[in-house]
Amino acid sequence: MSGPAAPAPAPDDGGVGAAWMRFWFEPTDPRPLALVRILVGLLGLALLWSWQADLGRWCGPEGLVTPASAAAWVSRGDGAWLAVVDAALGPRGVWAIAVASFAALVVGAGGTVVAVTAACSLALLLHRAPMLAGPADDCVVILTWCTAVAPATRALSLDRVLAGRGRVASAAIAPPVPSWRARVATGLLQVHASVIALAAAIAQLKGDVWWDGTAAWWLAARAESRVVDLTSAYAGSTYLMNLATHAIPAFEAAFAVGLWASAVRPAIARLGLVAWPAVGVLVGEPFWGLAMAVFAVPFTGLAWGAAASPSHAVTRREGAA
Amino acid sequence: MPPRASHAVDASTGALPGAAAEPVRAAVTFALAIYLFGLALCVIGNTSSGASLLVRTIKGKIFTPVLAPPWLDLGFDYPFTYGLPEDADHVLEVAPFGDPAARLRFPADMAGERARRWRRLARAITETGGDPDRTARVAADVAAAMFEAFGPDVRLRVLRRARADVGGVDPGRLDEAFAARVREIDGDVQLIRDEPAGAVAPIVVPRRDPADGAESRP
Repeated sequence: MSGPAAPAPAPDDGGVGAAWMRFWFEPTDPRPLALVRILVGLLGLALLWSWQADLGRWCGPEGLVTPASAAAWVSRGDGAWLAVVDAALGPRGVWAIAVASFAALVVGAGGTVVAVTAACSLALLLHRAPMLAGPADDCVVILTWCTAVAPATRALSLDRVLAGRGRVASAAIAPPVPSWRARVATGLLQVHASVIALAAAIAQLKGDVWWDGTAAWWLAARAESRVVDLTSAYAGSTYLMNLATHAIPAFEAAFAVGLWASAVRPAIARLGLVAWPAVGVLVGEPFWGLAMAVFAVPFTGLAWGAAASPSHAVTRREGAA
Repeated sequence: MPPRASHAVDASTGALPGAAAEPVRAAVTFALAIYLFGLALCVIGNTSSGASLLVRTIKGKIFTPVLAPPWLDLGFDYPFTYGLPEDADHVLEVAPFGDPAARLRFPADMAGERARRWRRLARAITETGGDPDRTARVAADVAAAMFEAFGPDVRLRVLRRARADVGGVDPGRLDEAFAARVREIDGDVQLIRDEPAGAVAPIVVPRRDPADGAESRP
C-alpha cells in the first residue's frame, strides 16, 4: 500500500492537521514493532497454555460454560458467527489455530495474515468463555491487533530471511524501509497504552483502600492468587504498605500522561519495562504486567542502528518490481 | 515516539520512502477517527463511571456490534481490589447432593493463569452487580456439566477465602458466598438457591390471649 508517488507529509507544518499527519503517517522504523510482535507471540502462547488442560472441561460439548451462558455474559451482536465457527472448528480447533498463529508470530512467518488470524482466534476463544478472561487477555488481544496493523515481519523474522534468499548478505540483513503502517501501529499502541493505564488508575482511585494506603495489603492477603507473599513486610511497615499502594496508581497515571510528553517519553517507557511487571506481581496479575510492559517497548528510544536510506528503499522497490 | 527513521525525500519521486498515498491516508484517517471515538465510548460506557444512558446507547447500538466480535469492546476497568469480601480468592465446589465428602474443588492445587481462570469462573457465579439471570445460568450450567460424574442432583458452592485484617494473621477459613442445589427433573435443570438466613427466618405468628381476645407476642 505504500505509494511511491505520494507526497511526503509535511513534518514542519503547524496546525492540528499537520500534527495528525505526523503522528499517524510519518514513515517510521518497523523494527521496534518486530520486537513487540515476538513478545506478543510469547505472551499469547503463555496465555493459551493456561487453557490447554481444561479446554474440554470448560468449553467442550458437556463443558461447564455453555454457548448460551457465554452469550449471556458478553455482548457480541447476534452471535451467529460464533455459532458457525464453534460448529465448524470447535473450541479445540480454535485453540490449535491460535497456538499455531502465535507461534508463527514469534518466528515472524506469514506476515499480516498470521497476525490477523492470531487476533481473531484468541478473540473467538475468549468469546467462548468470556467469564474466564482477565486483564492480560484483553491487553494481548489489543497488542495482537496492533501487530496486525504493522508490517511487523519486515524485521527479525523468518519472512525477512526467506525474502533475502538469493541476495547478497548485506541486502538480507539491511535495515527495513520505514513504513507508514509502522507509524499507525505505533500510534495505536501509544493511545491504547495510555488509555489502559489511565482507566486502571481511575478504577482504582474509586476505592477507599487505594486512598487510605491499604490496597496493597488486601492484594497481598489473597493467599492463593498472590504471586509473592508480602504480608509480613507490610505488617512490619505501614509506610511500605502505603508506598506500594500509592505507587501503583501514581505510576499508571504518570505512564498514561508521560507517553505524550516527548521529553520524558523514553524515560517513562524504560521505567515501564521494569515497573509494569512489578505492578503485575503486586496486583496478582503478572501476565497483565508483562503485557503492559510490551506496550512500552516502542517508546523506549532504544538504538536500533541506522534506518534504511532512501537509496536502499529505491533498490528494494526496484527489486520488488 | 519511537526513534524516527530517515525522512529524506526520494529524489526521483518526491515521496518519503514508505509513505502512504493520499487516498490511503484519507481512508485511514477516517477509520482512525471513528475507532478512537468508539474506543472513548467503550471506556466510558463499560465502566462503572456513571456514564449517561445516551453514551451507553450510542456505544451499544453503533460500536458494540463492530467492536465486540474482535474483543475490542473493553472498558479496562481494572481496580484489582476494593478491599471487599468479593475481592478475595474464590473456590468452586461441586458435590453429589447429600454426599459432601465426594466434593471436587477448583482450582484446588492448580497454579498460575490456569488457576486464575477457575477463580474467575467461581467469582462469576457470585457476581451481584449484573443480571442475576446470567449468574444463575452460569451456576446451573456449571453444575449440570457435573451430572455425568455425580448424577442428576448436585450441590454447588462458591467459597471465599477469608482474608487477614490489615496486619493480622490469615484465618485460613472459607466462607460460603453462594450455594445451590441443582438437579435435573424430566430433562429440565432446576437451580434451588440456598436463601440467606434472614430470608428463611421463621415467621412469628402473634399468640392470641384467651382472656381478652387481643393478640400478644410470646
